[in-house]
Amino acid sequence: MRRLLLALTASAAMTTGATAENIGVTMALFDDNFLTVLRNGIQELADGMDGVDVQIEDAQNDVARQLDQINNLIASGVDAIIVNPVDTSATEAMSAAAQSAGVPLVYVNRQPINLDSMPDNQAFVGSNEIESGTLQAFEVCKQLRAAGKGDGARAYLFIGELQNQSAIQRTKDIHDVMGMDMCNFITLIDEQTANYQRDEAQDLMTNWLSAGEAFDAVFSNNDEMAIGAIQAMKAAGISMEDVIVGGVDATQDALTAMQAGDLDVTVFQNAAAQGSGSLDAALALARGDDIPQVVWIPFELVTPANIDSYLARN
Amino acid sequence: MAETVHGTGGLTFDKSRRQWPNELNIFGALVLIVIIFEALGALLVGQSFLFDSAGRFDSIFNEQRLYIIVLQVSIVGIIAIGVTQVIISGGIDLSSGSIVGATAMIAMSFAQVAEVNGQPNPKGVFLEYGWVDLPVIIPIVVGLFCGLIAGIINGLLIAYTRIPPFIATLGMMVTARGVAKWWSRGQPISFPTDDFAAIGNGLNGWMPVVIFIGLAILFHLILRYTVYGKHTYAIGSNEDAARMSGIKVDQHKVLVYTIAGMLAALAALVLSSKNLTAQAGMGVMYELDAIAMAVIGGVSLSGGRGSVVGTVFGALIFGVIISGFTFLRLDAYYQEMVKGGIIVAAVVLDQWRQRRAALRA
Repeated sequence: MRRLLLALTASAAMTTGATAENIGVTMALFDDNFLTVLRNGIQELADGMDGVDVQIEDAQNDVARQLDQINNLIASGVDAIIVNPVDTSATEAMSAAAQSAGVPLVYVNRQPINLDSMPDNQAFVGSNEIESGTLQAFEVCKQLRAAGKGDGARAYLFIGELQNQSAIQRTKDIHDVMGMDMCNFITLIDEQTANYQRDEAQDLMTNWLSAGEAFDAVFSNNDEMAIGAIQAMKAAGISMEDVIVGGVDATQDALTAMQAGDLDVTVFQNAAAQGSGSLDAALALARGDDIPQVVWIPFELVTPANIDSYLARN
Repeated sequence: MAETVHGTGGLTFDKSRRQWPNELNIFGALVLIVIIFEALGALLVGQSFLFDSAGRFDSIFNEQRLYIIVLQVSIVGIIAIGVTQVIISGGIDLSSGSIVGATAMIAMSFAQVAEVNGQPNPKGVFLEYGWVDLPVIIPIVVGLFCGLIAGIINGLLIAYTRIPPFIATLGMMVTARGVAKWWSRGQPISFPTDDFAAIGNGLNGWMPVVIFIGLAILFHLILRYTVYGKHTYAIGSNEDAARMSGIKVDQHKVLVYTIAGMLAALAALVLSSKNLTAQAGMGVMYELDAIAMAVIGGVSLSGGRGSVVGTVFGALIFGVIISGFTFLRLDAYYQEMVKGGIIVAAVVLDQWRQRRAALRA
């Protein structure tokens, strides 16, 4: 009798295991605007699929916590793991943990440092940060020329978090573009970090304004800081028509600012496509399919000319 | 009969010992830091830090710089006032920053406009219920109520279960941050009404400063001249003696933490109004900055000493440092290291002077 019961429960357990696919997800942050859209992208795709369950964890910007979460997910027997790394230089340990347990792993949005040496059953879905800063800088350069500043323009630069790969790359992109012949009429007065925060950027811009330097453009590593800068400039009585302001992300707040004529350039990062792309990649790897190890989702330039098609996207 | 410096706070001058009030030390440190930045400014960038070298303003001062020095520390300064009285009473409050985040999210939800640029508010939390374009008193009351609840919970836990304040407020710190994230599932909440925006942007942008200085004056008077203030210092100096002399210590502690919670909530209203948005990550590390301002301002972490005036000077030191770094165009990577060094140096200096004064007496 006992043996019969054991056999029944075992077969029941095996059948439930075979039909449902469990994907574990660990996000760097839950309270970040962009990452929330990404997370929703994963969740909505999973909800629309039969037999796919996602378990999403919040690493709270803590590298150690994220590694623990990955180990916990491996221990609870997920079919694949999606990781939005807190620190892109700490991904070797995560890749090693997943590989030794034979669990497929997909990095999303933030480029892992071991991109070229990932094990076969691991992949990366994201957008190339070389595109974001370059698209933004070129467009600002173009708009400055169109405004007649082609013989010399001065700009401020807001850097994101100093240890964040996106911030570092976007800042480098801007410097690279300013170094080209086409755009070397732009000089940078100063560059400082506002940690991707609107309030810090507002205070930083007011600090810069108190030095009284004339300037024509503001580059920002993300939209939140650009909006903070705009608020500070408006409070100081500067007309937004005189300053070209560029951000990255194309958040709702940024698009509203663009419609009001304050923000001039932003770059759309398709969070939802990154999220759903990472889930597709994770499921494919879990089923043993062959997929390209790196999937680039393109950045898209957003200006007042094409803003209408982006209003509902983020 | 001379008053002693200990136990009463405020600007007391002990005539029998010819001892400066502690706050003068901190003001001296502030002046010293300003002079250092002024000198470095002349050497490195050829501009004056506080004075209007380019002749852009009517007065001899660079008014915009003076403005930003105070503005950028006003919001944390409001929190620091609440934290000052908590630490003086012998406790500590680690939850202020998280209360800011949770309150900002919840209050902003009640302060949103119905339409943005002719379209329905894309971030409208209560749009479907029609709770938009509400009179500004509603988000203010809701926000202060959040702070009240959080503060009461802190106070009751600390007073009646006797768990250390560090642990109780640590729990609130984690929980309140969770509430902030849960409230709209991590989505920021934006586009408030003009009335709500006036809280942080009114009076030509001076509103946060006015609120901060106004509260500082109010709480300085409360701590110095009212029974509430005397009891706070007494409990911080010697809790058992205070209890035995008839002070209702437990009730007083609840009141102290409640006030701290409400001040954190008020800071949240100013912050979210100033930025026209509420984000779940707002206020991170604010409690540590607030405690640092208080400690630099002469508040002793073991309780019973300190004053709001000192905290205001501590806040100004922070403001001067932040503006000074931008003024000197200090490389972003060095700024945090140097700021940490200055904080420790200011406290060490203060401790050294107090020890010298105590040895002389």
